[in-house]
Formats: sequence, structure tokens, C-alpha cells
Amino acid sequence: MADFNVSTRGVGSVNVLDLKGYLDAHTAPELEKVFNKLIDDKSYNVVVNFRDLNYISSAGLGVFMAYVETMRENKGDIKFSNMKENVYNIFDLLGFPVLYEFFKDETEALDKFKVQG
Amino acid sequence: MKIPFKDISRNRKLENIIFISCLIVLLKLFFYSDTGITIYLISECLIFALFYFISLYFDDFFQRKNFVPIPVILNVGVLIVIIFFVLSVSGSAIKGKLVNTVSEAQMFFYILASFLLIGAISYIFVAFKHLFFLKQKKNPAKYFNVMVLFFVISYFLSALKHFSTGYDYLYHAFTIVSLLLISLNSLRVAWIAFLPKREKIYLIIISIVIAVLFLFSIVFSNPENYFVIALKGFSEGTWTFMDLVMIYGVIYGFVIFFTALFHLPTAEAFDRKAEEVSSLMDLSKIITQVFDLKKLSETIVTLTSKICNSDCAWLITFKGDEFEIQYVTDIGIHEADKVTRKILLEIPERVDEILTLSKSSVRITLENDVKIFNFNSIAIAPLKTHESIRGYLFAAKRTDSVFDEEDKKAISAYADYASVAFENAVLFAESIEKERMEKELEVAREIQSKILPASLPNTKNLKIASRFKPAYEVGGDYYDFFELGNDQLGFVVADVSGKGISAAFIMAEVKGVFESLAAIYYSPKELLIKANEILFQSLARKNFVTAVYGVINLKSGKVNLARAGHTPILVIKEGICEELTPNGIGIGLDNGTNFNQNISELEIKLNNTDILVLYSDGITESKNIKLEDFGLDRFEKLIQQNYLLNVENISDIVISELESFSKEYIQHDDITLVLFKWGN
Repeated sequence: MADFNVSTRGVGSVNVLDLKGYLDAHTAPELEKVFNKLIDDKSYNVVVNFRDLNYISSAGLGVFMAYVETMRENKGDIKFSNMKENVYNIFDLLGFPVLYEFFKDETEALDKFKVQG
Repeated sequence: MKIPFKDISRNRKLENIIFISCLIVLLKLFFYSDTGITIYLISECLIFALFYFISLYFDDFFQRKNFVPIPVILNVGVLIVIIFFVLSVSGSAIKGKLVNTVSEAQMFFYILASFLLIGAISYIFVAFKHLFFLKQKKNPAKYFNVMVLFFVISYFLSALKHFSTGYDYLYHAFTIVSLLLISLNSLRVAWIAFLPKREKIYLIIISIVIAVLFLFSIVFSNPENYFVIALKGFSEGTWTFMDLVMIYGVIYGFVIFFTALFHLPTAEAFDRKAEEVSSLMDLSKIITQVFDLKKLSETIVTLTSKICNSDCAWLITFKGDEFEIQYVTDIGIHEADKVTRKILLEIPERVDEILTLSKSSVRITLENDVKIFNFNSIAIAPLKTHESIRGYLFAAKRTDSVFDEEDKKAISAYADYASVAFENAVLFAESIEKERMEKELEVAREIQSKILPASLPNTKNLKIASRFKPAYEVGGDYYDFFELGNDQLGFVVADVSGKGISAAFIMAEVKGVFESLAAIYYSPKELLIKANEILFQSLARKNFVTAVYGVINLKSGKVNLARAGHTPILVIKEGICEELTPNGIGIGLDNGTNFNQNISELEIKLNNTDILVLYSDGITESKNIKLEDFGLDRFEKLIQQNYLLNVENISDIVISELESFSKEYIQHDDITLVLFKWGN
């Protein structure tokens, strides 16, 4: 299948994940590894930047579902930003905007974290 | 040359031997005083026949036992010791006194001794014969057979010359030629090379002793020797044979002695080569161990250690950045571990061929006890497959010796073999895995096909068509119909997240939940809320289900719908397509707190020719070779354009368009299409 890449960078107390390519059942484990490491490092504030993500499948969506509870239990959260329209559609149909915060740009998401403390 | 009587059974041979012996005994006893030529010749012929059958018997015996040289030569030695003893004793006994009248007891004794001698000579002769043929590739039978022929002729000539001196000359001529042939045939000693060094040394000692004994036996068997006289009296031919065999013994014995002696310096090298060959045969056993990594490592390491006489050897394989010791011999595992670590730091990143390090000391710490691992030479051979190094084979020598070219070749060969074997093991494991996955998918497909409805509940007013194309890896789509009574028909189209057998299982559960709830909750919104309540408990956090549930009144055409995270519902009214996306998040994402507050229910009414379309995202997300989506627009337009056709036709058109659009791209998700058309 197609390629996928996730890179992490820290902005203050928040970790920003830059997703690139196709997130599906085959590439989802890579994202899981990153989340596992964040939990090991006790970093619970995450912004996922979707600028370079072209496609997401139900398996990809499932990854966020699997980790958001842990993040929120530890006073953290997973926020989404910079989504392309077609990708946002997929999230929207499922009703993710009810459960997660979506931002047009990463800076807004980071600001939200600052506000929340 | 065909040998008569060769193939009769051993028992028959034995019978013949006994029979002939009896005849000879009778002849000798009855015709003792007869000195005529006829009786004599008959006697000689019988004795010759006796030799013949005894030789055949021993020949048979050796053939069966898969002739091993040293023990047989030892037997020959024992016989010649006895003969020598007898000859030396009888030499110092009564000299030359020919006794004309001999007592019956003495007579019996002579005959017995002669028979035993005949047996001994035959054994020795047959032994020499088998040594002659041992390890001979080409069949040199004719050389031996000619010699045998001359022996036989000499035998009969000696009988004849007993009566007439005219045969003397011939007799001597044939005897001399026989000696010549003996000498030539004695040179076939190729089998000596194949003996291990230890046996060569035994042979040197045994052969010189035997040769000397044969020599002295000849010396002692002068015409005045009492035993010789008695024997000649019994049979001249027998004496001739004995003489020839003893000379054969002397010559052969010395030839064997010198040959074995000269083979001694190269014996060790020869033994080593032989070891290499036998270990190559051991290597073939590895083929059956290919699937057991531990057993394979054990064989490789043991063979390596044996073949290059190393003091210790071990094998490691890599797993990512770490290595794992598979097998060690003559070194502790901890020791090997530490040494390996130290060495890996010293050698280059990638070792393509066998590497030897010499005269180094590796200092290792084993539990606060500093040990010095001294080796004179250490060989490191890589286990390579394609482009990567799977592991290393280590062999170390502690003392003075080094690894020579032969050693290095052998170690490399084993390492290469191990590489191939490991690769095979990996491929085998992968194919097993693939097969297992296949089986799983088969089960998933079966579950899915059992879950989906077998028939469609068409009625007078409502025509339903459905199309279902599962993805290879089973995508988790599900649709169903529930007859609720009171002219109500419930329907659901759902999509479980994920693929494969786990998706299939969840689908089965969803079916059960919906079937049960459909009979209780007639409001789609309530049903979905209840479904979420139940399913949220059993679904894993990362799993969820999208669904559209509706109930249609088959009399009025009224439809109530609710959507939980699923693709929009399409309604085509008079050729215009409308997307209905009532609020509703996916099932299993939330325990109800958000789900219940974000779900709405719609009510619509279907009129004549109106079409209701439920589908899964497998349709809209189908891709073509350029990775473009089929898309909702294309889908809607297609149905709009064909809205007047019946549901079966519309379905066919949609599917065929879809297939030609994405024909060069593998279908990754299940494709589900359910069309309802109202018409009176």
C-alpha cells in the first residue's frame, strides 16, 4: 500500500505530530508506536497536524480513539488541525467534531492548550 | 569368466566340502598302499575340488561380511603363526626317516592335519584375493584369474611330475611364471591409503611380522622337514599350493609393509580429507533440520569445530541491533556473549568474507571476575542472505595452531550453508503465516456470507435491490431487513471499522443486536441509542460501527430514518438527488453522553418512482489508477440519470460503472448498495 510517515516535534509542553501520506490498517501501527512512546514519556498534550495527510481509513481513526481516553484521563488531550477538506469530511460524517476539537491551524490548537493549562 | 558352483548356497557348499572330504578319506584309507597313477590322480582331483569348494565357501563368507582388511589380516597372521610353529617343530623332529608302515592313528592324524592345512591355505589365499580386489574401481579380475590359472596348472603338473620327470621342466616354468604373477598382483595395495592413520600403524607392525613368518616358514620347509614329507606323501599338489601361497605371503607382506610405511607421513592429511568428505555427508542431514533453528545451529557449530579442530565454536544471529547466541560448543554462553561483543566492536561493519584475527587476547569480565580469553587465531564467517548479514559463525583456536586455507574454506562453506538454511526457515515461516491468514480470511468470508440476507423482501409497492461485493480482506459491511409486522419493514446498512476476521466477528454481534432491538424499538433513533449502549461495552476502544437504520411503512411509503456516523442517505425524487445527513456519531465512540444528544431522526415520504439509496463508503472511496475517488457526485449523477429504470437495472449500471472505473486498482473495502424504489 501507500506510504506513511509521522514525525514529532515539541512546542512547549505540547507534542505536535505531523502526519504524511496514507493512514490505513497497514500504516496505523506506526502511529500507535508514536503514541505509546508519548505515554511512556508522560506527554499527554498532543496536536495532530493533518496538513500532509491524504487519506485516512477506519483503522486510522481507530488509533485516535484508542489513545484519547488515556490522554484525557491524564489531563491532556488530542487536538486536530490543518485538515484537508476530503479528510475532514470523513471525520465529520463519523461525528468526530462532537468528540474532538478541530482547528484550522496548528497555532490555534496550541493556544487552546495554553488556555486550558 | 563364469565361476562354476559360485552361486550355490553356502549350505550346499558345506555339504560338498564334507562329501568330498569323506571321499578323500575313504580313498586314502582303502588305497593306501596303491602307488598307481590312476588312484593318485583321482586323489589329486578330489583334493583340488576340496580346495575349490573351501575357497568358494570362504569367498562367500567374506562377501557377506563386507570385507574389513585388518581383522582378516590378523586371522592370516594367526594361521601363519600356527603353520610356522608346526614347521619349526617338525623340522627338529625325526629327520628324513621315511616310515613305510604307519599306524592307523598316525594315518588319521596326517589326514586331519592335511585337511586343516588345506583349509588354512584356502583362507589365506581367499584373503589375499579380497585384498587384491579391495577398493579397486576398475575390475582387474583378469590379472588375478590368470594367476589362479597358473596356480592350478602348477598344481596338476606337480602331481604329474611325481610320476614322470618329464614334467619337471614344465612344472618349474609354470611355477616361476606364477611367482612373477604373484609379484605383479601384490602391487595392488590401493586399499592401504584408505585406512585411518592408527590402522596404518597396526598394519606396518602386523605385515612385517607376517612377512617374516612366511619367510621363515619357507626356510623351514626344506625337503627334510618331517611335516613337508608327510604332506607331500598326502598330496603333491597341496604342497605346491602351500609353497606358492607362502611365497605370496612373503612378497605381499613386504609390499604391504613398505606401502603402509610410506603412507605414514601423509596419513594425517588423508584422514583430514576423509573427515571433510564425511562431514559433507553430515551436512546433507541439515536439510531436514532446516525448520528447527536450534538443531541447525547445533549441527553447524559441531561440524565446524570437528573439521577445523578448533577449541571452541559458536553461532550468533542478529535480531535488529541485538544478537542472539544460537549454539556454543566448548565455551560458556556468557563467555561467548562477552567475547562476541568485544569482537563485533573491532571488526568492520560489514564482513563479506571469512575473517581471521590472530594472537589477540580479549579481556572479558564475568561477574566481577576478570577472565582473559586467549586465542591464537579466531575465524569469523558471516551468514549472508541477499544484502543483509544474518549472523556470524565463530571458531577459535587457543593453542599454537592457526586456521589454514582448508579450514577457512570449510568454515565459509558451513556459514554459507547455514545462511541458505536460515533463509529457507524464514521463508517457510512466512509461508505458514500467509497460509494461516488465508484460512482466517476464509472463515471471515464465510461468517459474512452467512450473516447477510439470503433474499430481499420485495412487496407490491416496494422493490428492493442489493449489491454486495466483499473486499479480499473482508471489510466489515453488513445489511439486513427485519419484518416487523403491521406492514412495517426495518432495514439497516452498517460498516464495521477494520478488516478481516475481527471485523467479521463484530459484524456477527451487530447483527444479533439489531435483530433483537428491531423487534422492540420502532423508532430508529431509539434503536440506535440502545444499540450504542450495548455495543459500546463490548467494542474495543479503537473499534466502531457506522450505521443507518430505518423503518418503512409498506402501505404508506413513510420512512423513518436515523444515521450513526454513516455515509449520507440519498433520496431521488423526480430525478433530483438529495443527500440526507441527519445528525449522529458513530456507534462505539462514546458511552452515550455525546451519542444520545447528537442523534436525530428524519421522516420522509416516498412517492411513485422515488428511490431511496443506502450504501457504504466502499463505493464512493473506490479508486482508479490515478488514485482518484469515484466520489459522491459521480454516484449521484449515475442514479439520477437512470432513475426511471427498475432497481435491478440501476444497480447493475452502478456496479458496472464502478467496476470499469476502478478496474486497475485493487478493491480495499466492501462495496454495499441497497436500493428501494416505491411504485404502485
